[in-house]
Amino acid sequence: MRIRILRRDTPRSEPYWESFTADVTGDMSIASLLDWLNYHDDITNEAGEKTRRIAWDCSCMQGVCGACAMVINGVPALACETFVRDLTGDEITIEPLRKFPVLHDLVVNRDIIQENLKAANIFIGQYRPVKARNAKAAEAEFEHQYSIAKCLKCGLCLEVCPNYTSGENFFGAMFANDCYLAASRNESQVNELVDCYDEHFGRGCSNALSCMSVCPIQIPSLSSIAKMNRMRKR
Amino acid sequence: MDARKATSAIVVGSGISGMSCALELAKAGVSVTLLSPAPSERSQSVMAAGGINAVLANCEPGDSVQQHMEDTLAGGAHLAGRHAVEGLCSHAEEIIQDLIDLGTVFTVDGAGKPVRRSFGGQSYSRTYYCGAATGKQIVSALVMEERRFEAKGLVTRRLRCHFHSALIRDGVCYGALVYDENSAAFEALYADAVVMATGGQNALFGKTTGSTMCDGYAAARLFMQGVPLKNLEFVQFHPTTLETPQKRMLVSEAVRGEGGRLFYEQDGTRVYFMEDKYGPAGNLMTRDVVSREIEATGRQVYLDISFLGSKEIDRCIPEVRDICRKYRGIDISKEPIPVSPSVHFFMGGIAVHMNHETDVRNLYAVGECASMYHGANRLGGNSLLAALYSGKVAARSIAERDYATAEDAADAGELEAYFAPQAQEAAAQLDMARNGESAFPVAYIRGMLEQSIQTNLGIVRDAASLAQGIADIDYYLSIADKIAFDSSLNAYEIYSLVPILSLARAVLTCANARTESRGAHYRSDYPESSEDFACATIVSYDNGAYRVNYDKEQAYEN
Repeated sequence: MRIRILRRDTPRSEPYWESFTADVTGDMSIASLLDWLNYHDDITNEAGEKTRRIAWDCSCMQGVCGACAMVINGVPALACETFVRDLTGDEITIEPLRKFPVLHDLVVNRDIIQENLKAANIFIGQYRPVKARNAKAAEAEFEHQYSIAKCLKCGLCLEVCPNYTSGENFFGAMFANDCYLAASRNESQVNELVDCYDEHFGRGCSNALSCMSVCPIQIPSLSSIAKMNRMRKR
Repeated sequence: MDARKATSAIVVGSGISGMSCALELAKAGVSVTLLSPAPSERSQSVMAAGGINAVLANCEPGDSVQQHMEDTLAGGAHLAGRHAVEGLCSHAEEIIQDLIDLGTVFTVDGAGKPVRRSFGGQSYSRTYYCGAATGKQIVSALVMEERRFEAKGLVTRRLRCHFHSALIRDGVCYGALVYDENSAAFEALYADAVVMATGGQNALFGKTTGSTMCDGYAAARLFMQGVPLKNLEFVQFHPTTLETPQKRMLVSEAVRGEGGRLFYEQDGTRVYFMEDKYGPAGNLMTRDVVSREIEATGRQVYLDISFLGSKEIDRCIPEVRDICRKYRGIDISKEPIPVSPSVHFFMGGIAVHMNHETDVRNLYAVGECASMYHGANRLGGNSLLAALYSGKVAARSIAERDYATAEDAADAGELEAYFAPQAQEAAAQLDMARNGESAFPVAYIRGMLEQSIQTNLGIVRDAASLAQGIADIDYYLSIADKIAFDSSLNAYEIYSLVPILSLARAVLTCANARTESRGAHYRSDYPESSEDFACATIVSYDNGAYRVNYDKEQAYEN
């Protein structure tokens, strides 16, 4: 199968497409495909010319670290969880995320994610949870908070968000979720967090909810948004 | 001279042990530089699923800190130091309370109290957990808290920053030489103390259950700089992992806990080999025994849980169901899971004393890269505990020490002059490598290393396999400085090759020297334990020579 990859040698050089041919099976993820291209032998492109190995980030290779977020056949996703069997068409295109500066091939600089969370200074501090109404609500709250704390900070929710550009003021769904986690687990800072949430998320979100459809953890961001809005009205 | 407290520390690695240490240092007012190639979310810590052991006030009736200690010592085949293990187990309650206070999302009961489950090798139920993602939930809590100290200016994170070597003069560490990907240059960082928190040695084996980022390089480089390593031959194999095109996926012990049965097929019938040999509870024997039995069958082994029915499977082991479906298209409610053992944890690592300091003053090691507490085999639920505890121990030692002594208080200009050649040499070696002309790329050597180690340092070892492994590695080392370094690899992958090979050589040397079987180290030519070896292995490097000693005086863990 033909694999087209949008490459870039350095942060300052121009991007270019390079094509490869690979024997793929349906079971292969894009991560294992990249591994195969890089290491099954010397790496050569479709024209048979020797080329550089493809740079991409990975760590866990099983969907819990968020390193390998990229754009596959036009769809932002984790490479280790995107399988050849689920792709259509007779070629596979792989591009780096578009909303972050490219460093090298598929490696992007996502420092802005950490920088914004640091600037907003969201933390729990001391566990003083908002009390749930009853046992059933407590269980639902656990599921919600557990899901938020599984956030990979991979950047996929920012990649697809129509309101997120480069993170100057609007920080995106991962931020809204973290706000709710901190507020629900320390009620003494709810008011402060609501203000921060309004400034960096509430006022900018147009409820497109594309963040939810790409989230590898399937975090119920809508639920975080609704609950933050309710907290605001208190 | 007046006492001087530490003002600065460098922590290398930002998983759970590194963050635990950085937080404790920051709380004591020490400025921390927390450096790592990637954010904490990418660390192997996020993959720890099971839980964390502790004996709390509402423990199972009969359980005690003493019992947790005895289980840990027995699990480690009595190689770990009693005092070290006592420190670990007696601080577990404080550590759980800290995590609760930080807002870690523990699985709780109706009253909001964390609940516990039973884990293998332990006489009571004492493993607290956060769903099926305990490590990830702890990482999230620590990251939030640590960010608070970043905002205060007490912690400075450096991303895309790789450790190169420690700055050591006359047995004292003054900082670290790092390679910064942003500037594509080496940089010497100075501090009162350096803490290594770099994880296990996965790269020796290639595909493991862990992260591709844990390669053992940092321990390997320190080893070549004269820091002894310890107990390297003790490598834990997890008996049930699933082969996929991209990695070895862990199939949790919970499957066997729920009644899962191991079998192989012979002439169309299922042979339940564990039950045949060990009785009805045979599937739940310890990890090392099950791994060896699977290996001994010489066949494809399967783990069957389909009889539980899809409802119970959804309720009890949803993460296993998801992994099998997602990566192999296997429906575990209908078909058995093909499993085989794979490398999971390294009990060995950097030799450290009770305060987690190495033999080099002001150089510490914590978490999986250090060797402590687990002896010859680790109990499930003790590694998260050790990661958190060891980070705190090192931080407290640094914060309490008086740095006004002559050896610690070196003149900054003098140090810079002394260490300048180390940075220049690192840069020169990299240039030489980049301009090399010969035919073998780094990736091939790494691939051959993995193959040789997997073949020769497996679950069952003998003198012949270890000798073959040593011969292989010696050959790779002999060509390692003559190979064509691939310019499309980053600097780190290039300069890490020789130390990683040397680490592999050290592991094989330790395994070869220990002519007995104990815990995770099994020799078919010496299948029994021997009193002569009831102590830790210490290996040191001297200009290409690998020296093995045994810690008979208990200089490290007691």
